[in-house]
Amino acid sequence: MSDFEQMLVLATATSVLAPLVAALAARLAAGWIHPRVPAGIGLAVSLTAAVAVAQGWRVGPGREVLLGPGLVGGSLVHIDGLTAILLPLVAIIMLAIVLVAPRRALTPEAVVRLLLGSFLTAAIMTTSHPVALVVLWVLSLLPTWVSTRSTPGGRPTARAYAIAMISGSLVFAAGVGLMVIDPPWAAKAGTTGAVGGWLVTLAVMIRKGIAPFHSWYPAVFSASPMSTALAATMPQVASYAAIRLLVGHADGVRLELIVLSQAALLTAAYGAALAVVQPDVRGLVGMLALSQSAMVLAGLSGGLAMELCGALAIWISSGLALTGIGLVAWALESRAGRLELNTPQGRFADAPALAAFFLLFGLASLGFPGTLSFVADDLIVAGSLGDQSHAGALVILATVFSGIAVVRGWFRIFGGPAAADAPRHQVLRRERIPLIVLLSVLFGLGLWPGPLVQSLEGVAESLLLSRRSTAAPIPGVHP
Amino acid sequence: MMLALLTGHDLAAGLVVAQVATPLAALAAVSLPGIVGRPLSERLTTGLVGTGFGVAFLAAIVSLAVSGLRGFPVEVVHLGTLFSVGHHAATVELVADALSLPYVCFSTGLCSLVAAFAGRYLHREPGFHRFFTLLALFGFGMNLLVLAGSIDVLFAGWECVGISSTLLIGFFHERRTAVDAALRAFITYRICDVGLLAAGVVLHEAVGSGDFARVFAGSWPTASCLVPAATARVAALLLVFAALGKSGQIPFTGWLPRAMEGPTPSSAIFYGALSIHAGAYLLLRCSPLLDATPTAAWLLVAVGLATAVQAAIIGSVQTDLKGMLAYASMTQAGLILAEIGLGWRVIPLVHVISHAILRSLQILRSPSALHDRHELAAALGGPPGRSDGPLIRLLPAGLRTAIYRTALDRGFEDALIGRFILAPVLGLLRTAAAFERSIVARLGGSHDVADEWHRDRGAA
Repeated sequence: MSDFEQMLVLATATSVLAPLVAALAARLAAGWIHPRVPAGIGLAVSLTAAVAVAQGWRVGPGREVLLGPGLVGGSLVHIDGLTAILLPLVAIIMLAIVLVAPRRALTPEAVVRLLLGSFLTAAIMTTSHPVALVVLWVLSLLPTWVSTRSTPGGRPTARAYAIAMISGSLVFAAGVGLMVIDPPWAAKAGTTGAVGGWLVTLAVMIRKGIAPFHSWYPAVFSASPMSTALAATMPQVASYAAIRLLVGHADGVRLELIVLSQAALLTAAYGAALAVVQPDVRGLVGMLALSQSAMVLAGLSGGLAMELCGALAIWISSGLALTGIGLVAWALESRAGRLELNTPQGRFADAPALAAFFLLFGLASLGFPGTLSFVADDLIVAGSLGDQSHAGALVILATVFSGIAVVRGWFRIFGGPAAADAPRHQVLRRERIPLIVLLSVLFGLGLWPGPLVQSLEGVAESLLLSRRSTAAPIPGVHP
Repeated sequence: MMLALLTGHDLAAGLVVAQVATPLAALAAVSLPGIVGRPLSERLTTGLVGTGFGVAFLAAIVSLAVSGLRGFPVEVVHLGTLFSVGHHAATVELVADALSLPYVCFSTGLCSLVAAFAGRYLHREPGFHRFFTLLALFGFGMNLLVLAGSIDVLFAGWECVGISSTLLIGFFHERRTAVDAALRAFITYRICDVGLLAAGVVLHEAVGSGDFARVFAGSWPTASCLVPAATARVAALLLVFAALGKSGQIPFTGWLPRAMEGPTPSSAIFYGALSIHAGAYLLLRCSPLLDATPTAAWLLVAVGLATAVQAAIIGSVQTDLKGMLAYASMTQAGLILAEIGLGWRVIPLVHVISHAILRSLQILRSPSALHDRHELAAALGGPPGRSDGPLIRLLPAGLRTAIYRTALDRGFEDALIGRFILAPVLGLLRTAAAFERSIVARLGGSHDVADEWHRDRGAA
């Protein structure tokens, strides 16, 4: 291993382990210092190391690093372009959550759960080993379940979540096991591997909330703390697993990917449409997240580099923008209570700065020019229309409904007559700075998207290359 | 020496870039301090935005003069490629020609005047900074739209115009009617923007780029279409769809009169002058596609004329001045689109500019209408009279009443769309949303929500 690769591994390890160390510190120092301090420091270190990984990958030779035991093409430590893109995304989302979260929501237990979730999510993003993926997949579900269950009134949702996730995990473990025994992309693949491929597809659908397994998804947003919902959904663990186990081996699982892409497309349009009629802001954020997450999977299952690039760009842009919207909504809820959307709530007069942030994050999520989502939408619409015209139509439908839902949400929260005695809510510095940083990333990458798109294209090309290596064409079906 | 400098490519390109860059700089200058919690003073805000537009206007005038001296050659300014994946590239190009230069002169000129007017009109208004931020965004978007050398850049400008329009309609956010009108306008925009987005993708697929130089050959207004006939047909129909929404034409007329809920300066510049004609500009820019697609051209003529007649009738029964002016704008926009559909090119451009100037003046004067009327009455020695036109008097009384009722109900367009499109779609979505909640409740062991869903379904 070269010096450069050693540095890359060191930075990756730092990024993954920093939240774990911070969780230990937060646990041990509980009562002495506010848990936000060790959590913030740990996640800042994680973000710095993740940015170093991304920059190192961009300027380096572009050779993937594989370490530790391997199994059917997967490796315990797998650092490539995808890792370099996703590690900073996970770290910045988690850091923003910790910094903006209301003080009373950050109990030591909640912070430890959040940091453990961050550690497990980052760890998943650095492995392609099937067994490691299964173990981390299961472990990463626990913080969300515990947090939802311990929220007042959250038990029914925690039960629904547990039913969905236990089923999904069992299916995932069984599917991965069968794929290990009989890899469906191998030259002599049999029925066992094919069944494994279908089971993994089903597990991905459940964990991603793809219809008809989507009902738990918005429910988590409604019943859990916003930090839990965002941390559980924004990094999109199941998309990562789908890339490592399905998308990267599309030659053996073509039919599975077709089913996955069609279901994801329908979910994207359906989720966006339902976002338009949500009665409260949590439902709105949940449905938007469901739609965007499905759109990522739809693009990843496509057959053109443009679609894959668009999907990866949406992964980043929706992750950042929806985190921003969720955090602004949470900040407002912590000051003004539950935010209904059925009638205008008139919150502009007492929270103009939060209104501005909500609007800017909303614009950054609906494909506004100058934001990363503009680039992402352009790529995915052009790619999906070029690939299958009905896919393009559904993607356009989803973007139209998402835009309407965001603007309706903004007008319903901030429009309308204000209460005469409403206090004026200031935005705290610890809230303002992370929100400005998130916005800067979204607008910066939108105004200067070249380097990011180049990196995404590299990932897309490598995925397509791995597919083409053994794929046999099926008439009428994209490879 | 000086003439050589004036005719130099670099200077011409610099002037074109300045027309987009200065409103953008003004936008950044007034919005960023607000985001970090330190908004500028009113005087500084007005000064920055006014200067941004003023410099853009001067640059536009000089560009027009220089270009006119040289016989309006097509000047393409390539600013770079935003991103590219495979053969798909989003290039940033501006174009200065016989269409964009006159248009940008009058648009930046109007923006400058409205900025100066609004500085006094909105003095001490709580949303003063918000108005100027949105005005700067609009001015930047409009100039980007007009000077766009590719459909991607045009789409970016189009979106900026759309969102600034929406937010200014809802400027008086404490009024329920303003909020509802803004949302209605945005929904219309969003639906119709699909046309422009899809047309862009279709053109990209056909020629591998959205640059107008690769889609059209020659210079406006005699340019010809380089894309295959089938592609041109699809793209033209999609562009017509986009233009109908932005210009408030049938069946998208409902948002325009409601858009007058915004402050008077924004109503003047958006719905009397620039935003309402963005659709006409789009079609003029892409006129070779219409030339290659008679179906789209005749559709445009039919819809434009129908809207003009409908808006003229409805406008005649309006009881508020801004509503009447909105329908008058709609009438002229319909006529302009019909002219474009008939294959005319210079006449619609002249019509747009003259109508925009007149209408924005009327809307800016509208808050003083009572004062003007009193002055007129004093001068005449009594209230100015009003009589029905001769055509109306020829109609039978029953038909006149029927037309009057139809006009009062805005041609029943809103009612029909509400009953046959909005209500079923929203009903379906609400039922689905309640069903989703009931599933989670069943899984979680709580039957209250499930029972609620059954009640909701029964009610639906």
